[in-house]
Amino acid sequence: MNYMPGTASLIEDIDKKHLVLLRDGRTLIGFLRSIDQFANLVLHQTVERIHVGTKYGDIPRGIFVVRGENVVLLGEIDLEKESDTPLQQVSIEEILEEQRVEQQTKLEAEKLKVQALKDRGLSIPRADTLDEY
Amino acid sequence: MFERECREHDCPLDEDEDAFQGLGEEDEEIDQFNDDTFGSGAVDDDWQEAHERLAELEEKLPVTVNEQTGNGERDERDEMDLLGDHEENLAERLSKMVIENELEDPAIMRAVQTRPVLQPQPGSLNSSIWDGSEVLRRIRGPLLAQEMPTVSVLEYALPQRPPQGPEDDRDLSERALPRRSTSPIIGSPPVRAVPIGTPPKQMAVPSFNQQQILCPKPVHVRPPMPPRYPAPYGDRMSPNQLCSVPNSSLLGHPFPPGVPPVLSPLQRAQLLGGAQLQPGRMSPSQFARVPGFVGSPLAAMNPKLLQGRVGQMLPPAPGFRAFFSAPPPATPPPQQHPPGSGPHLQNLRSQAPLFRPDTTHLHPQHRRLLHQRQQQNRNQHRNLNGAGDRGSHRTSHQDHLRKDPYANLMLQREKDWVSKIQMMQLQSTDPYLDDFYYQNYFEKLEKLSAAEDMPGDGPKKERTKLITPQVARLEHAYKPVQFEGSLGKLTVSSVNNPRKMIDAVVTSRSEDDETKEKQVRDKRRKTLVIIEKTYSLLLDVEDYERRYLLSLEEERPALMDERKHKICSMYDNLRGKLPGQERPSDDHFIQIMCIRKGKRMVARILPFLSTEQAADILMTTARNLPFLIKKDAQDEVLPCLLSPFSLLLYHLPSVTVTSLLRQLMNLPQSAAAPAPSSPPLTAVLQNKFGLSLLLILLSRGEDLQSSDPTTESTQNNQWTEVMFMATRELLRIPQAALAKPISIPTNLVSLFSRYVDRQKLNLLETKLQLVQGIR
Repeated sequence: MNYMPGTASLIEDIDKKHLVLLRDGRTLIGFLRSIDQFANLVLHQTVERIHVGTKYGDIPRGIFVVRGENVVLLGEIDLEKESDTPLQQVSIEEILEEQRVEQQTKLEAEKLKVQALKDRGLSIPRADTLDEY
Repeated sequence: MFERECREHDCPLDEDEDAFQGLGEEDEEIDQFNDDTFGSGAVDDDWQEAHERLAELEEKLPVTVNEQTGNGERDERDEMDLLGDHEENLAERLSKMVIENELEDPAIMRAVQTRPVLQPQPGSLNSSIWDGSEVLRRIRGPLLAQEMPTVSVLEYALPQRPPQGPEDDRDLSERALPRRSTSPIIGSPPVRAVPIGTPPKQMAVPSFNQQQILCPKPVHVRPPMPPRYPAPYGDRMSPNQLCSVPNSSLLGHPFPPGVPPVLSPLQRAQLLGGAQLQPGRMSPSQFARVPGFVGSPLAAMNPKLLQGRVGQMLPPAPGFRAFFSAPPPATPPPQQHPPGSGPHLQNLRSQAPLFRPDTTHLHPQHRRLLHQRQQQNRNQHRNLNGAGDRGSHRTSHQDHLRKDPYANLMLQREKDWVSKIQMMQLQSTDPYLDDFYYQNYFEKLEKLSAAEDMPGDGPKKERTKLITPQVARLEHAYKPVQFEGSLGKLTVSSVNNPRKMIDAVVTSRSEDDETKEKQVRDKRRKTLVIIEKTYSLLLDVEDYERRYLLSLEEERPALMDERKHKICSMYDNLRGKLPGQERPSDDHFIQIMCIRKGKRMVARILPFLSTEQAADILMTTARNLPFLIKKDAQDEVLPCLLSPFSLLLYHLPSVTVTSLLRQLMNLPQSAAAPAPSSPPLTAVLQNKFGLSLLLILLSRGEDLQSSDPTTESTQNNQWTEVMFMATRELLRIPQAALAKPISIPTNLVSLFSRYVDRQKLNLLETKLQLVQGIR
C-alpha cells in the first residue's frame, strides 16, 4: 500500500532498520516500530553507535522513544549492505576510551585557540552567554 | 490567685481561665495550642447553665438555712461557703494536676484511663469545669506521649513491615515504597493495600461505556485470569519484584508479538453501541486499491476507531472471547476451531482471514512460541500450496517480516490514523497559493512523462500521485463577542479582532535636516518599496490566467478589468506616478533599474505592457544604457532583459527601431567623463547586454529594411547613417575589448555585406564571430 507518494511520511519506514541522528549528536540504530504525527519514534533493539575515526562501537540500548523534535535526520539501512563498511567495530570500552581521548584533544585545542585569541585581544563569545541577547 | 470579688456567674469562667493559664505556664508545650482548642473555647462551658445550677443549689441551701435562720446574711455566708467549697476543691484538684504533670508522663495512662468517660457527678458544679480539664488532658495526652507509634499502630492498623533481615543483601532498588505517613491527630483514610486508582480485577460490567474505552490501563487490566498475581499489589512489591513474578502483567509485551488487535471490527462495532463501521470492514487489501487517500470517510471513522482501538485493552465480559485478526491477507488455514467462538465467527471468516484462539491467558513467552509455530506451519502450508510463482523478492521480504516477531506492532489502524492526520495537514483551499512550488513541480513532471509516453503510444503509466484533499473555503463572517447585560459595547480583542496597542504616528522629517546620505538612503528605500508593491501586482497579474479558467462566466469581465487596471498601475509605478504631468525624467525608472530585483521585475512585466508602453521602456533603457551598464557591473542581471526586448522588437515598426538605434549611437556624453575618451558606445559594446542589444537591433532593422521595400527615403537615409556609425564603431574596437554577445542574429552577415567592403566584412566577421565555424 502506497502511503502518500511524493511526501516524507514515515509510515512506509515502519518495521525497517533505521539510522537516526539526534540533535545531541548521538547516532541510534534500531527498528522503527511506531510513529505519530510529530514524528516521535519508537525504536526497537536500539543500538547507540559511537564513531571515532574509522572505528565504531555499539552500545545496546533496548527500546528508545525519541521525541520528534530531537531528530536531525533518519534513513533506512539496507540490511544487505550494512556489513559492507570500511569501518572497524571495536568493543564498547575501547570506543568509549577513544571518544574520551578525542574529546580531550578537542578541548585542549579549543583552549589553545581561546588563549591565542585572548593574547591578541580578541574573544569569541560563548554560546551560552549569547542567550542573553 | 482567685478573686473572690468576682460575681457568681463569672466565677466559673474566671476560675477556669486562671486554672488553664496556670497550667499553660507550667507546660510550655501547650502554648502552641490555641485557646479555642484547648482553652476556654473548647470547653463547653455554658455559664448560664452553671448559673442555673448554682441557682438551684442556692435555692436548696437557703431553703434549708431559712428554716433555721431567716436572715439574708446567711445567704451570703452560704454563698461564700459554696464558693469556699469550690475553692477548696479547686485547690485540691489543681495541686493534683500540678503534681501529675511534674512527675511521670501519665499521658498514655491517662488516655487509657480517662477513656471511660467521666460521668459528671450529679449535683456537682465541678463537672463542667473539670470535664474541661479532663478533656484537655485527654487531648493533650497523646501529644506528650513518647511512645506514640505503638498507639497509632494499634489504632490505625497499618500492616507491619516485613522484617528486613534477609533482604539486606539485595540491592536497594528492590525495596518497597516507603510506608505512608499517617496523621495521628486527625487520622488518615485507611491505608489500602492496593492503590486507589487500580481498577477491580474482576470485570463486573459487561457492557461498558465510552469512558472506559478512553481510559486505557494496559498494565492492570487483563481478561479475568486465575489469580496468578500476588495479592497485595502496591505496598510490598517494587516494580522489579513484579517483573520477576511469573505471569505478571509487567512482563512481556503488552502487545504480544505478532498478534494484532484483540477485537475484530464486528466486536468493536458492538462495543461502540452499534456504530456500523462499514468502512471499518474494509480489509487492508481493499485499502490498497484506493488510489489516493480520501480524507472524509476516514475522518468520521477514525475517531471511533481510535477509541475502539484504545479500548481494545479492556475486554468487557468474562464470557467474551478475544480473538485476533491477522496481518495482510493470507489463506486461512482452519487448523483449529476456537472453542466457543460463537456464530459471528462464521461471518467474519471471509473477511478477517486468520484468527487464532484466545491465548491471552497464556504466558507471553508461551504465546510467542505458539504463534511462531503457527506461522511456520502456515509457511509450510503456503509453500505447499504453490507459492513458487511468487517473486522471490516478495517472499524474502515476507520471510523477513515473518521472522521478525515484533513486526506490525503498529497496527494498520494506527498507520491510517497517522496518515489521516498528515493528510489533514495538507488540506488547503487554494493549493496554488499554499503549495505553489509543489504543484508546479508535479505539473512539470507530468508534462515530462506525458511527452515521454506519447511516442510510446501504450497505456499510460499510472504514476501514483498524492491526491491532497481539497476543502471548500468557508467564508467566516467574524462577529465580535457581545456580552449581554453590559452597558455599552465591550471590545474583546482576539486574533480575529486585533486591537491597536501602540499608537505609532508617522512623522516625516523635513528634507533640510537630513544629510545627503540619509536622503540617498531614504530614496533607495522608497524605490525598494515601490519595487515590492509592483511585484505584488505582477504576481497577481500573472495569476489571472489561472483564475480566469477557474472562474464563472459572469466574473470574467470583472477579472479582465482588474487585470488591466493592475497593469496600468504597474506601468505607472515603473515610470513614476503623477500621470498629470508629463514624464520629464527617467530618474524614477533608472532608480528601479539600478536594483537587481527591479531589473528582473521589468523583464517580467514587459510582456504584459502594451506596445507603446513597452517601447517607451525600451527607449528609456537605451537612452540611459551606459549608466545602467555601469550600475550593473556587479549584478550582471541586464542580460535577462534581452529576451523580452527582442520579443518586443518584433512588434515594433521600423521607425521605432531606427530611432532606437540612433539613440544608441548618439548616446549623450556623461558629464563626468572627459572629452577625449571613447564615446559611450564603446562602453556599450564592451558590455554583453549592450552588444547583444545592438546586434539585435541591427538585425531587426535589417529584417525590416529587406522585407519592406516601400520605406521612405528619409528613413532609409537615417538607417544607412546609423549603420555606418555602427559598423565604424565595431571595427574600431579591438576584438579583445568586445564583449561576447548572448546571441548572434543570423542575418548580420548579409546586413554588413551591404554596407561595408569585403575586407572590412571579413574583419567584422572574425571580430563578432559571425561565422558559425569560428565559434
